[in-house]
Amino acid sequence: MTDAAVRRVTALGALTAVLIGASVVGLFLVAPEDNGPGGEGQIQRIFYFHVSIALVSLLAFAVAFIAGAAYLRRPRPWWDDVVLISIRLGLVFAVLTVITGSIWAKAAWGRWWIWSDPRLATYTLVVLLYSAYFVLRSSAEGERQARFSAVYAIIAFISVPISFYAVRIAQSVVHPVVFTSKGAAMPNSMLIWFVIALAGMAALFFTLLQLELIQHRAQRALQEVKLRLERG
Amino acid sequence: MNPSARRQYAALLRKDLRLEYRTRETIVAMGLFSLVVTILFEFTVGERIGNTSAIAGGIIWATLTLGAVLGVGRTWVPEREQRVLDAILIAPVPRLVMMMARTTALVLFLLGVQVVVVPLAIVFFVNGTSPASLVLIAGVCILADVCIGIMGALLSSMSVFSRTRELVLPVLLLPSLIPVVIAAGGATDAALSAPRQMAEYRGYCLFLAVYAVIFALVAYATFDYILDD
Repeated sequence: MTDAAVRRVTALGALTAVLIGASVVGLFLVAPEDNGPGGEGQIQRIFYFHVSIALVSLLAFAVAFIAGAAYLRRPRPWWDDVVLISIRLGLVFAVLTVITGSIWAKAAWGRWWIWSDPRLATYTLVVLLYSAYFVLRSSAEGERQARFSAVYAIIAFISVPISFYAVRIAQSVVHPVVFTSKGAAMPNSMLIWFVIALAGMAALFFTLLQLELIQHRAQRALQEVKLRLERG
Repeated sequence: MNPSARRQYAALLRKDLRLEYRTRETIVAMGLFSLVVTILFEFTVGERIGNTSAIAGGIIWATLTLGAVLGVGRTWVPEREQRVLDAILIAPVPRLVMMMARTTALVLFLLGVQVVVVPLAIVFFVNGTSPASLVLIAGVCILADVCIGIMGALLSSMSVFSRTRELVLPVLLLPSLIPVVIAAGGATDAALSAPRQMAEYRGYCLFLAVYAVIFALVAYATFDYILDD
């Protein structure tokens, strides 16, 4: 690991800790309670985590899509690592989105699961779509593994908005729509903490991505040394 | 498509159709499987809710999609077993032509199954229907089959080279086809309802057409990389 890589990952890790720490303090102690007409009270605070995790999972899948396309243009192992790690982290964030969404559904509507909420249903499909990536990856062999993984990262990312639209046309919309084309439907005192929570989650994703990339590079270097030693 | 590509496309399609005509493995298995699933739905869902007309579209398309997985799973398998695939890959045929021939063959197989299964399922689940509704449903079948054919050709080309291809394909294919099932089921219900919901029907069909175009473009962009051997 080069010094620059160490410095980069340390700086990013410190920034992530500050942002997530600030967002935890801010959204529990500073952000106002949602007590307006139709407000949800304390449980609304889950929104800050739920939505930021959901958006960061999409960011991770977008990174995997770009890295997949880059791998197909120029097949370098590094791009394959980025696809794999981004999808792995994105899937973790997507599962967390489904879990926090389910908790929110229980508090807001009294049930752990509501199929008529298009976003929760879409995220369940997204989890299925991206879980299949690992089945394909573990089943493919040799150089095909990276190539097929890259192609599937592209197909899956394009499937996400299509699935979202399909679920939406199949159901009525019951999810609170916070972000509209006219802007965010929440006061600035809430928006600021949402932005900080979102930045914290995004920074967390990039820190984990960096760390895992370093680990993958070290693993490959170790493999090469082993091979060289075996050959004598 | 230039004349030589057209000839290659026709030759590959003829090969698939002739293989199926001689063995009749895929269509018969898909048809029987779809019928069994239809009857399963009748005993698990139909018996309990009584009037199944309102959910017939969903049942029909869940059934047809599960049946399609069988057909798509057979794609490339005879070629792989007889080592014809190596010869096809060595031949100077553009990958896109292979993909188009494979998609067309799949669409024709699916239509062959649906000609039998869809009318039977309508008899089982729907309380009276008109010829006009059947024509509208035929339109849905063609559109949805093109979607399934494109996605099936794309994903089966990857799964055929995998160690556990029978296990990989359904896991890859079914989540990607859920939007198709939703739209085709919705369009079929709109066509079967009385009075017919034409605005809804058109919306669902438009969605299927957009899905087909988007994934045809994805296939066009990526197919060369899948069969890059």
